[in-house]
Amino acid sequence: MRPHDNRAWLLLLPALLLLGVVGAVPLLAVFNYGFHDIFTLTDVHWVGVEWFADILASDRFLASLGRSLLFSAMVLAIQVPLGVGVALMFVGLGTRAVWGLMLVAMPLVVPWNMIPMLWMGLVQPQNGLMGPGLLALGFDWKSTAWHAWALLLVMDTWHWLGLVVVLAYAGLSAIPPAYRQAARIDGATRWAIFRYIELPKIAGALAIIFLLRFVDSFMIYTEAFTLTAGGPGDSTRFLSIELGEEIRGFSYGQAAARASLYFLIVLAVVWAFVLATRGQQGARSA
Amino acid sequence: MIRALALLALACFILLPLVQAVILSFTATLPRPNVAEGAIGLMNYRAVLAAPELRAAMVNSAVYVLLNVALCIAVALPAAYALARFRFTGDRHFLLAILVFRVTPPVVLSLPIFILFARIGLVNSPVGIALVHCLFNLPVAIWILESFIRAVPPEFDETAFLDGHSAPGFFLRHLIPQIAPGIGVAAFFCFIFSWVEVVFARILTVTGGKPITMAIQAMFGFQTDIGMVMAMTCLSLLPGMAMIWFVRHHLARGFSLRA
Repeated sequence: MRPHDNRAWLLLLPALLLLGVVGAVPLLAVFNYGFHDIFTLTDVHWVGVEWFADILASDRFLASLGRSLLFSAMVLAIQVPLGVGVALMFVGLGTRAVWGLMLVAMPLVVPWNMIPMLWMGLVQPQNGLMGPGLLALGFDWKSTAWHAWALLLVMDTWHWLGLVVVLAYAGLSAIPPAYRQAARIDGATRWAIFRYIELPKIAGALAIIFLLRFVDSFMIYTEAFTLTAGGPGDSTRFLSIELGEEIRGFSYGQAAARASLYFLIVLAVVWAFVLATRGQQGARSA
Repeated sequence: MIRALALLALACFILLPLVQAVILSFTATLPRPNVAEGAIGLMNYRAVLAAPELRAAMVNSAVYVLLNVALCIAVALPAAYALARFRFTGDRHFLLAILVFRVTPPVVLSLPIFILFARIGLVNSPVGIALVHCLFNLPVAIWILESFIRAVPPEFDETAFLDGHSAPGFFLRHLIPQIAPGIGVAAFFCFIFSWVEVVFARILTVTGGKPITMAIQAMFGFQTDIGMVMAMTCLSLLPGMAMIWFVRHHLARGFSLRA
């Protein structure tokens, strides 16, 4: 058991200071801006909750929120099972798994703004490697909404699958092989081994995967903006694209109010998630 | 058999966009003196290395990433040690707070960060980017280092202190060598979240100090030399690939939710 010692806070001081400067202070500032109309930095007027009320009452906001939630849900539904599946496959590779991990980690080091470029080059009808084939299938992400969504999902999966695989593999490879052997001798099915031996071991890794993939996909900007800038129509107008429009339009007060709202939504999801995982941990240890 | 096919499909999926980029990077996509369009060769790489702003961008990126990794490790190490070795009032709140900072979308903070950093003169400087990337890298570094320190038995610390080591001496000469792989993994994850980030990198480099991501962005224009863009992209992948290679045996430690 670790000793109780409040002097440990001294060791946290540098971290708190740093996060205070780059995290807490800007966060307070953004909430403060959200209650003001900002023309220039010296011409600022108090408007109260006007921006918040405007945004919450607008149909566009609700539509974008719906799209962003749907996109996150689809990202999680695709990437988590796929990533865990690939990780399970890698565990079966033994020591050669390291090559697989290196393979799936590669997209993680590609500059984010180049990822849409790479994929747009790949599906370009004239000279992309996949372009002619996709053209023959009638694939057109510039004018068909669900094609744009499909391309975004494939792109995002390409980008982030590696993170899911690496983190899930980390949990899986910590399980002693004897556990699986014993379960198999007892006649456990593959599903039972996964459900009762492997899944509990990767619960912590899955939790962080869920949260990281949720926030990043919920706030997807670069990929969606580069691809179609929210189109075709409004079909890929996600929350972050609306925020980007306001910032570029210099309506800083409204942008700050919107940013505060987004932060509160993310915070609510994280909070619910942490409470749920703590509840489970409590149930398991009880 | 099925597994071999699945692995092959996965390899194709991951490599296809990269293969296309590598092919383009060796192809002349715009006509140039003495080089026909469509010719194969190193002309794009030569052009990239001959452009002073692109060379400067590589230096800027390297500087801010190295600063960020060094800062994150230096600050995360004592915090991780405190969390791994002691219980204290509010330790779970601290873990929750760093989780919240890790998941705060950068776009939410971009505006006040810009105003704040403009006031203290950190705009257009790699130092500013290095500082602000700690927002999402410091929590990850703390989680990773904490799990590695926890794996070291507490008797290890006690022996070192009994031998008369001071706290800094213990950290530098005993703990750091002991958890070196953990530092490598933390550095890797800090690197992958920082090297490729674009939101803060864009907002904090208005006129100068542009990192690789923004330098590539600036290469798009009326007549984009896509071969040169891809050559720059391929070059920007090299440090990341090297990082993956160095930590390949420790990658599998990963990190998980601590809250």
